Amino acid sequence: MLKIKSLCLFATLLCAIVVSSSYAQQQDYKTGPDAERKAGVPQGTVTKGVWDKSEIYPGTVRDYWVYVPAQYDAKKPACLMVFQDGGGFVNEKGHTRVPVVFDNLIHTKEMPVTIGVFINPGVVPAANAKDKPRRNRSFEYDSLGDQYVRFLLEEILADIGKSYNITSDPAGRATCGNSSGGICAFTAAWERPDSFGKVVSHIGSFTNIRGGHVYPALLRKTEKKPIRVFLQDGENDLDNLHGNWPLSNKQMAAALKFSGYDYKFVLGTGSHSARHGGAIFPDTMRWLWSDYTK
Amino acid sequence: MIRLFTLSSFVALFTASLLHAQDMPLSDVLIDGEGWQLVSEGHKFTEGPAVDAAGNFYFVDVPSDTIFKHDVESGKTSTFVQGAGKCSGLMFGPDGRLYASQNANRKVIAIDAKGTIEVIAEELGANDLVVDSKGGIYSTDPKEHQVWYVAPGGEKRVVAKDIETPNGIILWGDQSTLVVADTRGKHLWAFRVEADGSLTQRSPIYTCRLPLGETASGADGMTVDSQGRLYVATALGVQMFDSQCRISGVILKPQQAFLSNVVFAGKDLDVMFVTTADKVYRRKTKATGLRYTSKK
Repeated sequence: MLKIKSLCLFATLLCAIVVSSSYAQQQDYKTGPDAERKAGVPQGTVTKGVWDKSEIYPGTVRDYWVYVPAQYDAKKPACLMVFQDGGGFVNEKGHTRVPVVFDNLIHTKEMPVTIGVFINPGVVPAANAKDKPRRNRSFEYDSLGDQYVRFLLEEILADIGKSYNITSDPAGRATCGNSSGGICAFTAAWERPDSFGKVVSHIGSFTNIRGGHVYPALLRKTEKKPIRVFLQDGENDLDNLHGNWPLSNKQMAAALKFSGYDYKFVLGTGSHSARHGGAIFPDTMRWLWSDYTK
Repeated sequence: MIRLFTLSSFVALFTASLLHAQDMPLSDVLIDGEGWQLVSEGHKFTEGPAVDAAGNFYFVDVPSDTIFKHDVESGKTSTFVQGAGKCSGLMFGPDGRLYASQNANRKVIAIDAKGTIEVIAEELGANDLVVDSKGGIYSTDPKEHQVWYVAPGGEKRVVAKDIETPNGIILWGDQSTLVVADTRGKHLWAFRVEADGSLTQRSPIYTCRLPLGETASGADGMTVDSQGRLYVATALGVQMFDSQCRISGVILKPQQAFLSNVVFAGKDLDVMFVTTADKVYRRKTKATGLRYTSKK
């Protein structure tokens, strides 16, 4: 009886140690002063729209937001940054607080005048309003191929381009996302490096959700494309049926290095969370745009 | 102290499991040690697995034109109807009758408990079918690459075209989305179901795993469960998709032969039955099938 009891205690302790070792190491990532409003820094404008006329993703409806910095001058082409799961990124109280960071860094000239486009994934509403809509996110973000980037270029960005002067230089055009939105950002640039020359992926799903685990192999055996890549992941990120996120991101970083890409990989201790990527986002922007001097 | 530590560990574990909740691995459905069990053998080409209100399982041996009933309580398999017209697709409707598609005769029929047959629609492609909670029927027409809808009352029309080989067909649990398996392609096609039964907003959101070097999945019969998962019989096995239409994995076939269809039956709808060439198999799972119910 005593033996069983002590065995149980030992098992409990072991379990506690294993669990605590994998979770207790996580750093508490927080956004910093660059993500706070500062006196004297001009604020850009954020305008919300609804895109419900997609032909590339028929029947989908989604919200999107356009951030235009106060320094924007219609006579000069602005840079562009497109965010997947845009609603989370555009939120000034959210994980990354992009409008605030952009205002601050554009003001200090640490990044160029950049228009931000924040796009949510589509849903196909059910015919009966009581039924749940069909979520199109995984299909749009995790699928390989050019369907999503065509949606960006031919639909939403073509429409926004009617109102704003945006550079066509791929080095001035970035795309960013978390998780499936991260692999989506990479796929957009991989398919159309003539349109997107910069990628930011946080906790990117370079795993086999819909075949995205092949990218490290493709990178190693494809002539280098002109894409600057920032990757962030955490050692406590997911390990599930689709794959192992830290290993997949390490494979991506190793393949980018092997093929001579201009890249940066930050591996922290976080889980499948937007917090670390959001906390370091101002520095990520400084690095991402440091080669852009136009 | 230890107790406190353990409690916090469990909280951490619970939080982690919430993060993972969207993932649906095969282990959520398969039970260790519960493999395929033979239900019936000695047939030529089995198809049309179906479940009645009590959970009893039905299937058809197409060449011998025999529909069988497998009583889940007694475990006995017996002839339900002989000579119903070489039906291939079967499904119970909201009126308790067994609806069946006669591929060669191009008819959809309904069979009551006594075996009495009523013709519901004629002169339409009828390889496989799904019956909604109002008695509307969708049936696949592989030869003409299209899908038919038979409204309650019997009026029929084509509601989807240009699918290479439409074969298996199923509705989501809430009947808002219809899915069609394309045997010669790699996708299952999803459609929005409109109030009048029309199909719109077609999208290839389910991508099947293919046998290496092949371009066709061999996708055929399908079923869905209470958690929004979808199961499709393919050349590689039963492919399982999660509620976001992402492949969760492949459940291996019980024998190296053509796998035609899959359904959940049993008293608790937790037993997966598959039809494969000469045999029918079952295995207990952690999943629960569903029946379509009318909306309030």
